[in-house]
Amino acid sequence: MTTPTALLSSPWFRPFNDLAAIDDLLAQMHPTWALGRIKARVLRVADEAPGTKTFVLRPNGRWPGHRAGQHVGLEVEIAGTRHQRRYSISSAPGREREIAITVKRQPGGKVSGWLHDHLRVGTVVTLAAPSGDFVLPSPLPTRILLLSAGSGITPMMAMLRDLGRRSIRTEVAFVHVTRNAASTIFGAELQARAARSGALDLHVHATASAGRFDAASLDQLVPDWRERPTWLCGPASFMAACRAQWEAAGGAERLHLESFGVMPQPSTADSATSSEIRCARSERVFTSDGNTPLLVAAEQGGLRPRYGCRMGICHTCSCVKTSGTVENLRTGEISSEPGERIQLCISRARTDCTLEL
Amino acid sequence: MSLTTAEIDALGTELDALRNEVAADLGERDAAHIRRVVQIARGSAIAGRALLMFGFTPVSWTLGVGALATAKILENMEIGHNVMHGQYDWMNDPALESETYEWDNVCDSGHWREYHNYEHHTYTNILGRDRDVGYGLLRISPEQYWHPKHLVQPLSNIALALLFQWGVGLHGLDPTRALKSKTGRARFKREWRTFAKKAGRQLGKDYVLFPLLALGNAPRVFAGNLAANLIRNVWTNVIIFCGHFPEGARVYTREETRHESRGAWYLRQLQGSANIEGSSLFHVMTGHLSHQIEHHLFPDLPAHRYAEIAPRVREICERYGLPYNTGSFWQQYGSVLGKIFRYALPTRAAEPQPA
Repeated sequence: MTTPTALLSSPWFRPFNDLAAIDDLLAQMHPTWALGRIKARVLRVADEAPGTKTFVLRPNGRWPGHRAGQHVGLEVEIAGTRHQRRYSISSAPGREREIAITVKRQPGGKVSGWLHDHLRVGTVVTLAAPSGDFVLPSPLPTRILLLSAGSGITPMMAMLRDLGRRSIRTEVAFVHVTRNAASTIFGAELQARAARSGALDLHVHATASAGRFDAASLDQLVPDWRERPTWLCGPASFMAACRAQWEAAGGAERLHLESFGVMPQPSTADSATSSEIRCARSERVFTSDGNTPLLVAAEQGGLRPRYGCRMGICHTCSCVKTSGTVENLRTGEISSEPGERIQLCISRARTDCTLEL
Repeated sequence: MSLTTAEIDALGTELDALRNEVAADLGERDAAHIRRVVQIARGSAIAGRALLMFGFTPVSWTLGVGALATAKILENMEIGHNVMHGQYDWMNDPALESETYEWDNVCDSGHWREYHNYEHHTYTNILGRDRDVGYGLLRISPEQYWHPKHLVQPLSNIALALLFQWGVGLHGLDPTRALKSKTGRARFKREWRTFAKKAGRQLGKDYVLFPLLALGNAPRVFAGNLAANLIRNVWTNVIIFCGHFPEGARVYTREETRHESRGAWYLRQLQGSANIEGSSLFHVMTGHLSHQIEHHLFPDLPAHRYAEIAPRVREICERYGLPYNTGSFWQQYGSVLGKIFRYALPTRAAEPQPA
């Protein structure tokens, strides 16, 4: 298998075997045809709740299928720049090649905002293969707990739909924390499912009326939560609080977590703060005082990144920033986007960062 | 006449502002431009190779050579050179990424990024630091030391033009470093292996693989590929020579450029580069190196923007009383040839101007 693949991708045959070239050509014949990439067409767009939309996509034949609870990479091009994000799939795996993602518009969110404003029926997007091990085991335990908050409901919805379609008799307690019941994503469908199936024990905790969700609330809603294997997804602070609760109860190993990335907001503080820079490739960490260019800080930290001009011309020191916020010292531009390429010699850290270094 | 330090700083600030203005405006238009050029280059390569492979007449051979040469010129100049400068890194498209792009000629792109992007663009026209001044072969300014090899430089210039991709490929290796130390030798060996691998692949592709695929048409394809490579070599050579060698482009000494400010760096780029006037098609075919001045000021801005900002750069030059070196192709290349003949002989440097 390796020989034909190697031959197919050999630079000798360029441009005849250039996958990007072939895909461009195929795209001209049919928008979702591609050899190297998973492309998908938007079939339907539905308003799920205020500020939340569901996009139903039909991927091309390269789609490998997903398991309930997994997320998918979505790539869109905004003003010439490609952006990638991962979204939990909210639909159950099925025979027909269709997936749904449910996206909440983030305040100031570049991609979520673009999806809401520009993704229409017929638009073609590029996907990355589904991944994630936030999935239910097989065989299923007799009793489980699903616990989510806010848009953390999306992978739960895929799991519930999957359980429903396979008519499995596992007792599912589902607790969802939301601000008010009216704005709950999938609210109507959840009520309908709970009414139909005796195995689904649904509790929607609306903080606007029922107050803060805490250990006591859980004790009251699902008294046997300590015994149930639990799947948890929600905003970072919610996850941390739950995790502490499980740890205190000595049940951390029964807890399965899925955290979804919320973009760090760039700090507007002018005062330089010290931040920690993690280097993914070399597995090293160095600190930056927030003023020194990252290249210098890395060198002070004992690393030896490649460099050339040290003044922002030659791009020898450019590297991918996987997370965090940096400021371009030449232009004052702030980069918070994950996966953006930055020039170390003219960038300073505004937050903790991870670099492909 | 020379500028004061304050004036040089002000010049730097103005040029920085111009750069930031364009950088903030990058978007769909720039992405569409480079993608269109990529498509034209691909289409041209496929058409050229097909004409050479399946044609029988001299007309189709000539057309095939033309199409393949065009493809190679576009790929090397407007795509390869510019992509490797990081002009399109902001697009986040793996096919247009500076760090991984590999172009269709015998020069290894890693070597190129090191000696071109870093050495040449940082130390532009500094004698002893920028090895692109005469490419170690030619004496193109009186400040360079004369050597007997320069007597034949009108001929070596022709040889270099015909074999330009090999000149570019070997230029990255710097044999002088190899003679100096053991680590220099080890580095040279390593770089030689990288070069040999790339060169072998290029030779294999154009002179073994594609001729063999053409079966009975092998000699035709072989000759066609050779002709296309020669045309690309000569074209890139003459365009590149018009960038820094025409009359009026300055060279610098290490002493004058020590502790240089950003403004002074801009000033050196301005005074050391020269433009060629022409149509927009001509500019694309030169990879916009016909706007060498703008390219040297802003090497990582998408090159098709250079023509748009050229009038503003020119206006800034006028305001600061700086020359803006531009002319027709024959004017500029004629003056390069004139210097190649003139400085073949051991002329003396003009008296240094009082600072």
